[in-house]
Amino acid sequence: MRPSSPPTFACWLLESVLPDPYREAILGDLIEEFALRIEPASSFAASRWFWSQACRSVPSMIWCSIRSRDCLISMSIAMGVYISMSTLKLAADWMISKLVSPDPTMQVILAPIVFLTAAAIAGCVAARIRRGATIFLALMVTITVAVSIELKVCRIPVPWWYEFGFLTLGPLTVIITPRLFERLKQRRLKQQRAVT
Amino acid sequence: MKRGELLGSLEHIILLALARLDDGAHGMIVRREIEERTGRNISIGAVYATLERLEAKGYVSSFTGEPTPQRGGRAKRLFRVEAAGKRALQVSEQTIRSMKGGLKDRWRTI
Repeated sequence: MRPSSPPTFACWLLESVLPDPYREAILGDLIEEFALRIEPASSFAASRWFWSQACRSVPSMIWCSIRSRDCLISMSIAMGVYISMSTLKLAADWMISKLVSPDPTMQVILAPIVFLTAAAIAGCVAARIRRGATIFLALMVTITVAVSIELKVCRIPVPWWYEFGFLTLGPLTVIITPRLFERLKQRRLKQQRAVT
Repeated sequence: MKRGELLGSLEHIILLALARLDDGAHGMIVRREIEERTGRNISIGAVYATLERLEAKGYVSSFTGEPTPQRGGRAKRLFRVEAAGKRALQVSEQTIRSMKGGLKDRWRTI
């Protein structure tokens, strides 16, 4: 974070959570006000103000989005993507167990790779359809993994960090992968513009 | 008066702030006006959520402004009070005035 730029994580949070019609307006207003506040006050005070506005705005806008049914659309998209990706993951798991390696130890090694790949693809697909859907998708992944751990779906004994890895990395992959791709795309566009 | 025409306290304050400002005020200007006049530190999200509700009721209308570099290339959303909004403000003021009628003497005795 540059000293004159607003907190990156707060911006990312707002960009992910705010409903489409107000995302640009609210973020623009906050960035403009942040620039005005950073001159008389310290950058710490301006960042604290930005964070407090971001955290207090999120519940109001989520409620607003529920009222306008925007939230329901995002939830439906997340559900659709989740179902299709779960089907694909099941097919991949089956193929690994039958065709590639029936050895349970090998399956324990390959399972996180398949899971994280599916989560990354699902995150990108959901973000492509609607940006707000990734948050719901991450929530669904968290709930499913937590329930699977609680019900002990994995028959092979695994250490606690293995399960914890699924619980934390799964939702994070869903949220972070589309943002990374977006950044790469923007950087490539900038490079192309610089060349032309 | 229909139930939907009654203004909530934040709706009332935001409509009054918009009426005070020139045509086409954006959320942060409204928030600043309220903070300066009332000392109430409301969030920008609450302002936009209320403006969205007021727009759905037809009391305000909005239009998109030009994106500027100061805003990180993001466009403004500007709001203005519509005739229905001005009427709602008048009705609300009348309701408060009539409810307050005769209370002055009572408050003196409390």
